[in-house]
Amino acid sequence: MRRSWQMNILLALSLAFLCLLILLPFWWVVSSSFKEPQEIISRSPTMVPHSFTLQHFQKLLSSSAYPTYMLNSLIVSTISAIITLMLAVPAAYAFFRMHFPGREVMYRTILLAYAFPSIVVLIPLFGMFVKLGLVDTLTGLVIINVTFALPFSIWMLRSFFAGLPKEIEEAAVMDGASTLVILRRVMIPLITPGIASVGIFAFILSWTEYVFTSVLIVSDAKRTVPVGFSGIIGQYQIDWGMLLAGASFAVLPVIILFSLVGRWFVGGLTEGAVK
Amino acid sequence: MRGSTPLAIAFVAPALLLLAAILGWPLISAVVLSLQNIRAIGTGGELIGFDNYAEVLSDATFWRAGGISIVWVLANAVVQTILALITALALQQNFPGVRIARTWVILTWIVPTVVTVIIWRWLFSSSGGMINPLLMQLGVIERPIGFFNTPTTAMATLIFINSWRWFPFIALMMLAGLTRIPSDLYEAARLDGANSWRRFIRITWPLLAPTMGVLLVIGTLLSFNVFDIIWLLTSGGPAGGTRTLPVLIYETAFKSYNLSEAATISVLATVFLMGFALLATRYISKTEAQ
Repeated sequence: MRRSWQMNILLALSLAFLCLLILLPFWWVVSSSFKEPQEIISRSPTMVPHSFTLQHFQKLLSSSAYPTYMLNSLIVSTISAIITLMLAVPAAYAFFRMHFPGREVMYRTILLAYAFPSIVVLIPLFGMFVKLGLVDTLTGLVIINVTFALPFSIWMLRSFFAGLPKEIEEAAVMDGASTLVILRRVMIPLITPGIASVGIFAFILSWTEYVFTSVLIVSDAKRTVPVGFSGIIGQYQIDWGMLLAGASFAVLPVIILFSLVGRWFVGGLTEGAVK
Repeated sequence: MRGSTPLAIAFVAPALLLLAAILGWPLISAVVLSLQNIRAIGTGGELIGFDNYAEVLSDATFWRAGGISIVWVLANAVVQTILALITALALQQNFPGVRIARTWVILTWIVPTVVTVIIWRWLFSSSGGMINPLLMQLGVIERPIGFFNTPTTAMATLIFINSWRWFPFIALMMLAGLTRIPSDLYEAARLDGANSWRRFIRITWPLLAPTMGVLLVIGTLLSFNVFDIIWLLTSGGPAGGTRTLPVLIYETAFKSYNLSEAATISVLATVFLMGFALLATRYISKTEAQ
């Protein structure tokens, strides 16, 4: 589409505004985490650091349990993402293509999962986890994360299945392939972008989860980044340098993951919404 | 339709059983809990009928939190819709780097909320930070503002921070709705000599309306449930000025150890929310049918 010059100016202005709104806070935080303490709390803030130091990162890694939190978060998020996929892919295919009683009702019901305040289930769930011995375990966190990732994952994967051309599947049926073989050899390879999207979604959800972890995890050695890190906020006299370093660090894994497969994730998000 | 029914059941059963155990069962337990008088976890209690409901409904704290929740949801809806619409309309255009922009716009949503909290707590800090010194340099203010110190500014700041986190997500959903509008409609309008503003009012806006409706419902549910950002930044303060219903539920259950009362508030909140979602979706499908 050709645009008039007025529209071009309007577009440039909105894009500049969005850049400022989204990127500037991150730039301020990441660049400040390399500044000397005096420069961080200075009355006249600097856009580009005038000093350079790694002391905040060193302090973060040596004097706090941050590395442990990071490891716990990586373990919990990775396992949650894998299990979510293992449960969501077959379920999504069944909801998309297979016949069983109560299919539509069940599909609608699972999407209701996001309609009530999640804090509602926290109270009874805590009692249940106490009885099952799941309080203060990473397993308990994985169970929670997978549960909350599942409804959206099934919905998203189903729309990916729906986006495939019918002919491919029909050809496989004509060749006499069984449902399992069709799913494993034909359908799953074709929805790799969808699988990547759902994997990232579950990973991010687990990586950012705070409320359940804060209640279900008791010992410091089992805390994930969000909960352990929020403990650091109150624990010390506010040491902004260390907090900013921790914030920069906690963003890193999602940035790396997103630069590899973020394109698919956003594609999946928007494609799912269209159908 | 293909595959045998037993195989289909084997495909869906693990996911459904997990959902039933971790979401369904606790949801029912919450209702039972609200009819009992259990205080701390592990202590006994007995059925007391609707006494908790009578108590909560006559408690001013509950109604105040309910009111704050409504303000929270409405303000977030307005701010997020405006920001998301600007974003979606900009990203719909073609410009160098549009693909990268469409992917990375969601940056604010993929970082942990605790990071969001630290970023903004620092930027809005009244000792140091970035926003106060900047406003002072520009001569807008003379003295640093304590953004989290009064109920009104704390609420406004929280609404801004939460909207900052969520608007890109809503924007991408809107973008999906925008790309669904057939481009020949715009071509036809252009041939008829309609300018960009008329094209927006006559084509984009009406055709985007259903998507906006659905997004408003989803957005309402999502903002209503926000807890961690509020808890980590203000803990519902100052003076309860940012204590939304989820914050009240958390405080009642895990600070004053009154599980049954917390469950009661949860059930009431769920009923309101479900009622709203039901009415809204019915209204949307009705207007869509016309």
